[in-house]
Amino acid sequence: MTSTTPTLVAAAAALNASKIYGKDDSEVRALDDVTVDFTEGQFTAIMGPSGSGKSTLMHCLAGLDTLSSGKVFVDGTDLSGLNDRELTVLRREQVGFIFQAYNLIPTLTALENITLPLDLGGVEVDQTWLNEVVSAVKLESRLTHRPSELSGGQQQRVAVARALASRPKIIFADEPTGNLDSRSGAEILSFMRHAVSDLGQTIVMVTHDPVAAAYADRVVFLADGKVVDEITSPTSEQVLDRMKKLGS
Amino acid sequence: MTSPVIRLTLRGVLARKFRILLTVFAIVSGVAFVSGAFMLTDSVKTAINSLFQELRGDIALEVRTPIAFGDEARAKRDPVPDALASGIKAVAGVSSVELNITRESTIVKPDGKPLKTSGPAFGISWVGQNGLDGRTILAGREARGPNEVAIDKASAKRAGYVMGDTVTVVGPTGKGEFKLVGLTGTGKTSGGGGASVCAFDPVTADSFLGAKGLADSIYIGLEKGASRSTVQKDIAKVLTSKYEVIPGEQSAKETAGAINDIIDIFGKLLLGFAAISLFVSAFLIFNTFAIIISQRLRELALLRAIGASSLQIRLMILGEALIIGIVATGFGILGGVGVSKGITALFNATGAAFPSATITISTRTIIASLLVGIGVTVTAAMVPALRTSNIPPVAAMRPEMGFTAMQRGKRLVAGAATLLAGIALLCIGLFVQPGGAIGILGASGLGAILLFLGVASLSTSFAAPVSAVISRILPFPIWPMTRSVAGRLASRNAQRTPRRTATTASALMIGLALVSTVAVIAASVQKSFKDRLQGSVTADYYVTSDGFQGLPPAFAEKLAALPELGKVSPFRASTAQINGESKQIGAVNVDMGDIVNVKLTSGSFASLAKGQILVHRDPARDLSLTVGSSVTITWQNGTTSKLIVGGIYSDSSIAGNWLVSLNVLAQASTAPPVDFFIGAKIAPGINIDVARAAVDKVAEEFPSAQVQDQAEFQKSREDQLNQLLIIVYCLLVFAIGIAVLGIANTMALSVYERTREFGLLRAVGMSKRHLKRSVRWEAIIVSVFGATLGVTVGVPLGVAVSIALPKSFVNGIQIPITTIVFVLLASIVVGIIAAIGPARRAAKLDVLEAISAI
Ligand SMILES: Nc1ncnc2c1ncn2[C@@H]1O[C@H](COP(=O)(O)OP(=O)(O)OP(=O)(O)O)[C@@H](O)[C@H]1O
Ligand SMILES: [Mg+2]
Repeated sequence: MTSTTPTLVAAAAALNASKIYGKDDSEVRALDDVTVDFTEGQFTAIMGPSGSGKSTLMHCLAGLDTLSSGKVFVDGTDLSGLNDRELTVLRREQVGFIFQAYNLIPTLTALENITLPLDLGGVEVDQTWLNEVVSAVKLESRLTHRPSELSGGQQQRVAVARALASRPKIIFADEPTGNLDSRSGAEILSFMRHAVSDLGQTIVMVTHDPVAAAYADRVVFLADGKVVDEITSPTSEQVLDRMKKLGS
Repeated sequence: MTSPVIRLTLRGVLARKFRILLTVFAIVSGVAFVSGAFMLTDSVKTAINSLFQELRGDIALEVRTPIAFGDEARAKRDPVPDALASGIKAVAGVSSVELNITRESTIVKPDGKPLKTSGPAFGISWVGQNGLDGRTILAGREARGPNEVAIDKASAKRAGYVMGDTVTVVGPTGKGEFKLVGLTGTGKTSGGGGASVCAFDPVTADSFLGAKGLADSIYIGLEKGASRSTVQKDIAKVLTSKYEVIPGEQSAKETAGAINDIIDIFGKLLLGFAAISLFVSAFLIFNTFAIIISQRLRELALLRAIGASSLQIRLMILGEALIIGIVATGFGILGGVGVSKGITALFNATGAAFPSATITISTRTIIASLLVGIGVTVTAAMVPALRTSNIPPVAAMRPEMGFTAMQRGKRLVAGAATLLAGIALLCIGLFVQPGGAIGILGASGLGAILLFLGVASLSTSFAAPVSAVISRILPFPIWPMTRSVAGRLASRNAQRTPRRTATTASALMIGLALVSTVAVIAASVQKSFKDRLQGSVTADYYVTSDGFQGLPPAFAEKLAALPELGKVSPFRASTAQINGESKQIGAVNVDMGDIVNVKLTSGSFASLAKGQILVHRDPARDLSLTVGSSVTITWQNGTTSKLIVGGIYSDSSIAGNWLVSLNVLAQASTAPPVDFFIGAKIAPGINIDVARAAVDKVAEEFPSAQVQDQAEFQKSREDQLNQLLIIVYCLLVFAIGIAVLGIANTMALSVYERTREFGLLRAVGMSKRHLKRSVRWEAIIVSVFGATLGVTVGVPLGVAVSIALPKSFVNGIQIPITTIVFVLLASIVVGIIAAIGPARRAAKLDVLEAISAI
C-alpha cells in the first residue's frame, strides 16, 4: 500500500469502502474497509482469488451497486450523494463498461451498440473519433452485423469500442478476456493498452490471468475483501510470483 | 438520428414477433367485437332507415290517432274511421288520400303450408297502379274486386306462384282464395325487407282484413307546389283533437327507430362480450409483458448499466405495447367486418331480416377501436413497465439477482384489500342497488373486476402450495405425477415461479369464474322457472303463434265455438300507465282461471267479469293494493279507467302482473286486438284425441298457429329460456378460448426462457418424450389451479347474483354440480391442449445450441 495520492484528484477512488451481504450468521464481507484510488491515464489490473471481492469493488466504483459503508468517488464526485437519475447520467457519460460476456443488446447491430450510450444521452456522435475507435478494433467490415453473427472476440471488441466511444473518464472491465482464446484475448488487451498509452484513457480491469495483468501499469491484489498488495509496471512473472505468495 | 428508444422498441417487437403473436390475437378478438358491434349497428341502421324511407314513397302527410305516452312505433293505436278521408280530400292542396290498412296475412303455399317469412306477413289495402307509398307494381296490375290479390314478387317466387294462379291467404277473418293478378315490389327491388305482402283493393281489404270501416291511418299526397305545413294546418282544422297530422317520414323514422333499438341490443350484447374478452386479454398482455421483461432482465440491466435512464426503459416497454396495440387494433377492425357480416348472416339465417347492407366503418368505430385496443394493451403493460425501474443495473452481470420484487406481506395486504373492496362493491351493487340499472351494473361490474384482480394478486401467494397439492393428487395417467421425474420437474417449475403460475392461471380463472357464475344463475333460473310452470300450466291445449304479430281474435272465437272444448280464453296484452309507470296489462276472460293457475291468494277470478283487476302480489305490495282498493289505469290512447282490485295472485310466470277482462280492454281501446296465446280445456267427457283433432282442424286455417298440449307448451317455454342461455354460454366459451391461448402463450414463453435448462436436461439424458410430458404436466397444473380458483370465485358469485335477482325470477338456488365437475375436468384438457405447441418446441430444441444459450 504505497499510494498516498489524495483520492479526490484520481479518476476513481474508494475510501473505507465496505460491502456486506446477508445478516448475522450468514454475513459475507465482500469488501472490508477498502481504500484505493485509480490515477487518470493509468491502466490498472485488479487480481485476487475467486470471491475476494473484485467484481463487487468494480460494481460499487461504477455506481452499479451501493456500499454498506464508506465512499466511492468518480472524477471527484461522491457517488453516495447521487440519486438514480444522476447515477444514470454518470454511467452514461463518465463510465464505460466491458463485461465478461453478454455485453451487447442482441437486437441492435454492432454500430448501434457502439453508439448506444451516446444515443441514449442524445449526444451527437463524433464521427472522427468513432472512425478511429472502430478502425482501432478492426470492426469496419462488421458494423452492420447483429451480435449473434459475431464471434466472441468480435463481440468483446464491439464492447470495448462502445466503452471508448463516449470518451468516459474511466472504463471498468470485468474479466473482459475471460471467455476468449489467448489470441483474441491478446488483441483486446493490446487495444486497451493502446487506448491508455496513446488516447489517454483510464482503465480498471479485473483479471485472473497474469499475462493479462502484465499489460497494466499497476496491479492491485485483493483477498477476503481487503487490498493486500500492489505492483507497478508488472511483468507476468512478477504477478505470478505474487499470486503464489498470496496462496491463490 | 432516430431516438435510440424508438429503435430499441421497434427491434424489440420484431425480435419477439412470434411470442407476441398470441397476445395480439387476444386483443384482436376483443377489438373485433367492439368494432363489429359498432359496424353492425351502423350499417344495419343505415339500411333500415333507407328501406323505411323508401317505403314512405310520396306520402307527404299522415293522419292517425295520438298516444298519451310510450313508444310511438310499438304503440297499438286506435284506428281512424274511413269516413274522415272525404273531409281531408276536400282540403286545398291535397291531391290524393289513401287508407292504410295493414294486418297480418299469411300466404299459403300450393302445398298447403304457410310461407315462412323472415319479417312480418302483411295484408294491405292498395289503390291504383302505384299508390302513395313506396310499393310499386312490377308486373301485372293492382287487385280489383273481392277475388283478386297482388303479392310481392319475392314471396311469389319463393311460394312458387305465377300470375293467374289461385293464391290462398289467411287473414284476420280466416282463409280466402284469390286470383294472382300482380306482383309488387319496393321501388325497383322485388323484396319488402323480409316481409311478405298481399295487396287487396280497399273494399276487399276492409272486409277480409277485418278492418270494419276503420283504417290504421290515412296517407295524404300533395298537389305540386302546395305547401306542406299549410296543408298540415288546414287538415288539422277539419279534424278533431282525437287525431294528429304528421309529416309522412315521421312514422317511418319511428318504425326504423324501433327496429334500431333491437339492433342496439345486439350491439350492447356484443360490447358486453367484448368487455369480457378484453378483460381476459388484459391479463394475457400483462402476463406476456411480465415474462418478456424478466427474460430480458439481463438486456434491460445492461441498458441501465451503460446509461439508459429508467424512464427510457419504461418508454421502450410502453412503446412496444403501443405498437402491439396499433397492429392488433388494425387487425381487430378487419375482424370486426367479419364479425358484423357473420352476425348479420347468422340472424338472417334464423329469420330476423336484417337488410343486406354494405359495412359502414365510421370514424367513431375507428376511434373507439383504437381507444380500446391501444388503451387496454398499454394499460396492461403499464405495471410490468413500471416494475422495470426496480431492475438493478448489477443484474447485467448477476442475472440471478432479478427484481427487487414486491414483498410477500405487502402483496398479501394489497390483494386482500382489493378483494374486500371488490366484494363490498359487489354487495352494494347487488343488494343495496343504488341509482337504478346503471348503478347496479356499474357497482357490481366494478366490484367483480376488483374481485378478480384481488384473487389474481392473492393467488400468487398460494400458487406454490396449491400447485404442490394439485401435483400430488392428480392421479394422471394412472399414478401420481410426482412419481415420475417429468412430473416432479413440472411441479417444481410451477412452484418455483408462483407469480407466473398465478398470472397464467388468472386468465383461465376469470373465464371459468364467469362460466360458473352464469351456470349457477342459469340453473337457478331454470329450476325456478320450471317449478313455477309446473304449477301454473293447467290448460289442456295452448295455441301460440310462430309469426310476428300473434293470433287473430277469430281463432279464439272459433275455438270457443267447438263443442269438443270446454273453457277457452285468449291472452291479450296492452300497454298502460299505472302510477306514472308503463306496464303491460293482460286481458283474459273469466275462464282463464282454469287455464293458467296464477295462484290467487285473495279475491276471485270471477271478479274479472265485474270489470275488476287482478294484481300480482309484488306490485300490489309496492303500491299497497289490497282487494277492494282501486287503481287508475291510463291507456295508451289517453283514456283512463278506475278499476277495483278483485284479487291478488302470486304467480306471474305466464300471465304477468296485471289482469283485466277482455271487455275492459275493448272498452278502453279500439286498436285491432291480437292474441299472444290461447288456452283451452277439453269439454267434460270428450276423448283427448277427438278434441285434439277438432283443435287441429281449426288451426289449419291459421298457418302461423302452433297447437301444443300441456307438456309441449311447458317444454317450448323452457326451450326458449334454454336457447337464451346457450347464446350466453357460447360467448363465455370464447372467453375461455382466449384463456387457453393465454396458457399456451405463457408455456411457450417459459419454454423459451428455460431453453438452457431443457438443454441441460436433455444433455444428461432426459428423453424428448419425458421433456414433453414435463411441459404438459406443468400446463395441467396451471390450468387446474386456474379452474379451481375460477370455480371457487364463480359459484359464490353466482349464488349472490341469484339471491339478488327478483323473487319472481329466481326463488331457489340450484348449484349445477355436474356442470362444475365437468368444467374442472375440462380444465385438464385445456392444459393438455395449451401444452401441445410449447411441448413440441421444447422437444425440438437442439441440445448443443440449448446449452450454449443465455
Ligand atoms: N448478491 C450477493 N449475495 C451474497 N453474497 C454475495 C453476493 N454477491 C457477491 N457475494 C459474495 O461476495 C464475495 C465477493 O464476491 P465477488 O463477486 O466480488 O468476487 P470476485 O472476486 O469477483 O470473484 P470471481 O473471481 O469468482 O469473480 C463472495 O464471497 C460472494 O459470495
Ligand atoms: Mg468476479
